[in-house]
Amino acid sequence: MGAAGSKLEKALGDQFPEGERYFGLENFGNTCYCNSVLQALYFCVPFREQLLDYYANNKTTGDVEENLLTCLADLFSQISSQKKKTGVIAPKRFVQRVKKQNELFRSYMHQDAHEFLNFLLNELVDILEKESNAAKISPETSSPPEKIANGPRTAQSNGVQKEPLVTWVHKNFQGILTNETRCLRCETVTARDETFLDLSLDIEQNSSITSCLKNFSSTETLNAEDKFFCDKCCSLQEAQKRMKIKKPPHILVIHLKRFKYIEQLGRYKKLSYRVVFPLELKLSNTVEDADSEYSLFAVVVHVGSGPNHGHYVSLVKSHNHWLFFDDENVEMIDESAVQTFFGSSQEYSSNTDHGYILFYESLATSSKS
Amino acid sequence: MMNNTSSSNGMISPSSTSTNTQSQQGGLKTYFKTPEGRYKLQYEKTHPVGFLHYAQGKTVTQVTIAHLKEKSAQAPTSSSSSLSASSGVRLAAARLLGGGNGSRALSFVGGNGTSKTVVGSSKIGSLGGLSSSNTLVNSNYDGKGTYLIFNVGDTVFISDLNSQDKDPIKSIHFSNSNPVCHAFDPDAKDGHDLLIGLYSGDVYSVSLRQQLQDFGKKLVGAQHYNKDGSVNNSRCTSIAWVPEGDGTFVVAHADGNLYVYEKNKDGTGDSSFPVIKDQTQFSVSHTRSSKSNPIARWHICQGSINSIAFSTDGTYLATVGRDGYLRVYDYSKEQLICGGKSYYGAVLCCAWSMDGKYILAGGEDDLVQVWSMDDRKVVAWGEGHGSWVSGVAFDSFWSPPTSDDTGENVMYRFGSVGQDTQLLLWDLVMDELVVPLRRPPGGSPTFSTGSQSSHWDSICPIGTLQPAPSMRDVPKLSPLVVHRVHSEPLSGLIFSQESVLTVCREGHVKIWMRPGYGESQSSTSETSLSTNSKDKPPLSAKVGSSSYKH
Repeated sequence: MGAAGSKLEKALGDQFPEGERYFGLENFGNTCYCNSVLQALYFCVPFREQLLDYYANNKTTGDVEENLLTCLADLFSQISSQKKKTGVIAPKRFVQRVKKQNELFRSYMHQDAHEFLNFLLNELVDILEKESNAAKISPETSSPPEKIANGPRTAQSNGVQKEPLVTWVHKNFQGILTNETRCLRCETVTARDETFLDLSLDIEQNSSITSCLKNFSSTETLNAEDKFFCDKCCSLQEAQKRMKIKKPPHILVIHLKRFKYIEQLGRYKKLSYRVVFPLELKLSNTVEDADSEYSLFAVVVHVGSGPNHGHYVSLVKSHNHWLFFDDENVEMIDESAVQTFFGSSQEYSSNTDHGYILFYESLATSSKS
Repeated sequence: MMNNTSSSNGMISPSSTSTNTQSQQGGLKTYFKTPEGRYKLQYEKTHPVGFLHYAQGKTVTQVTIAHLKEKSAQAPTSSSSSLSASSGVRLAAARLLGGGNGSRALSFVGGNGTSKTVVGSSKIGSLGGLSSSNTLVNSNYDGKGTYLIFNVGDTVFISDLNSQDKDPIKSIHFSNSNPVCHAFDPDAKDGHDLLIGLYSGDVYSVSLRQQLQDFGKKLVGAQHYNKDGSVNNSRCTSIAWVPEGDGTFVVAHADGNLYVYEKNKDGTGDSSFPVIKDQTQFSVSHTRSSKSNPIARWHICQGSINSIAFSTDGTYLATVGRDGYLRVYDYSKEQLICGGKSYYGAVLCCAWSMDGKYILAGGEDDLVQVWSMDDRKVVAWGEGHGSWVSGVAFDSFWSPPTSDDTGENVMYRFGSVGQDTQLLLWDLVMDELVVPLRRPPGGSPTFSTGSQSSHWDSICPIGTLQPAPSMRDVPKLSPLVVHRVHSEPLSGLIFSQESVLTVCREGHVKIWMRPGYGESQSSTSETSLSTNSKDKPPLSAKVGSSSYKH
């Protein structure tokens, strides 16, 4: 371990700023789903910085009860304040907290990294909202507590509703989708907005993220069993529906639906499809022609041929260099190695390392939010 | 038909075949229709079964078509003295390499200069008792013929284009590193007409004919450049002969540098180059010593140069790279003329139109961009690929259906292949390009060069790079034909007079005969090639260019 650490240190050379830390995370028995996501989030610099800010401020305001947010903040500050540049850390408290909080993650079974990320971000949002509400109620105002429901939420455009609380987690990850439905009888377009913290995309063999995003926003006709209730016509009508991105998030998290329920088999199956993801990306399925560019900075990779077993690792870009995190091991890799995680163009292949969650950061200045 | 699951947009996931078997049948049609008729799958070329191994995934198959002329055309009698001199160099090189033994090197000298019968007999004498497969090689070695050269893993394969044989007639194994790119010059003045670039950065020039004459599995009579990456140890990405360049060639590397070499010249002199001060700036440096080879280094960009292509006459050199830029240089002046950024992501391939007016480029934004040299900007985006675009080429053998065009409505046919396993064909009609918005009132003040193409914006000054255009500012093209040709992601395409050739990353080649060709296939047909493959500039293009009326 020591030798490996110094090897990495040598590889890092002086191309990295003094303050940056590259620490592997110990595995406590099938906790790689957690480790891989943690590394991606740690190297999501705006998120990390805001979390550390929060940690610093929170410390001064006195003890709060331990929760997932404080545990995560603890862990990140523990990593960032290490004397050495490289090494291994045991995220023990954090993992214990996760298991306490959610029985799903309590077992030693293989878990889904995307489910974990989803759980974590929503949990952080909940904690921040509770804190904010508590703060609001106690001192000055007595405005009614605002609460955002977990998951998709509808925001009416009529402005009657209160502005929902936007936490720094939202500022980083939240985008808004608009669901446009056009009634084919009266041509009325009904638009419904919903927020998202990540996009889950259906994938196809030998496709690109660009094309998966296009399919995500492609027009779908609602007919037969699946008609649309048009408010204007006051009846079920055939309609055309499509999803567009109304507000692109600052950090775009794309989840590839590699685990698909196959009815004939009665179980989930891993799709090892080759889905190429560019290092730079633009969203073309936006409401306005945004043309804003994203840059890939982390990939959570699922290793293995099935959904119920396997391993998670992550690729992370830090200061224009790519690193490979596999639990306690950290290695530098060449940018061109990223393409070995696209998937396989043949169903049965020895290549089982597949990009599963992609993290893109907007290159546009984040001052907008 | 096999029982495939077809998904919503008509793409069919490949059947459960392993990489080693001929997986090409799974739901793939053996023809596609165009307005001018059916293109039919005529031949398939591949490499021996069981050859693929895991490490092979690192390299992507590229294909080059090589047309060997009659021997007499190959070795002009007028320059016998200079020929023998250069042969001497090569003989020395062969010995140095250790690849060729004495008799091989000798037979090579003989083969190029004096008489081929001597070579033949000496060869039979020294290598008597060979299996029948070798006679196949032997029977072709001094005739004319059209060959496919393609790399798979650590091997370069050579196939006879006009034979039914799936298997290659020759394989050349590289023990030190994998071959990744190659180029062929049908008009090479002396023996060396084939260039091969390696993953290690090493470069070889050889005579294709000599490889066909040899029975071994090693490169013979090769000149070795950038030995063990001594000048540049980053991966070769693209290699090209300079048209009319008298044996000069350029090699692009994964670190953003491009080197100019003179063939058959030993790099004995100091071929070190100054440190690149600013990685983001274009710079050219020449070696001080006249004995050194390479003779110049061009620093193009940060990150990899993915592909290069010379315009037909060799005036311009186009490069595309990791940074998303297409760049066009005046080759002899060593000056940037124009260029621009993709919509997003790296650009992977590029190709010129025969008349030098347009460049195609494709890459990680799934778009095929049409770059106009007159306008110095993107004039159209081809939308239709479902993944990265890995190969583009103009079809210089195609002519517009109506022959009464007055130059006002020049049409081009071009093709593209992608990692979506599809071949797309496109028609480019300048009149039909929807010019968006902002056409300057009263027409364009810039002097238009004939084709009334779209000067809807003021032209950008020479030597500047354009930023990525906005989606709504660029007219879109739709493909004429969309055809899934392989079950693997594709890596290139080439148009020839008789066919369209597609190749996938794993090294399977398909030859699609044009309508009207194919039934009566003659093996000795005089194929003149538009060699717009990924790593090959159009060299033998003089024939094709005359088909365009300006």
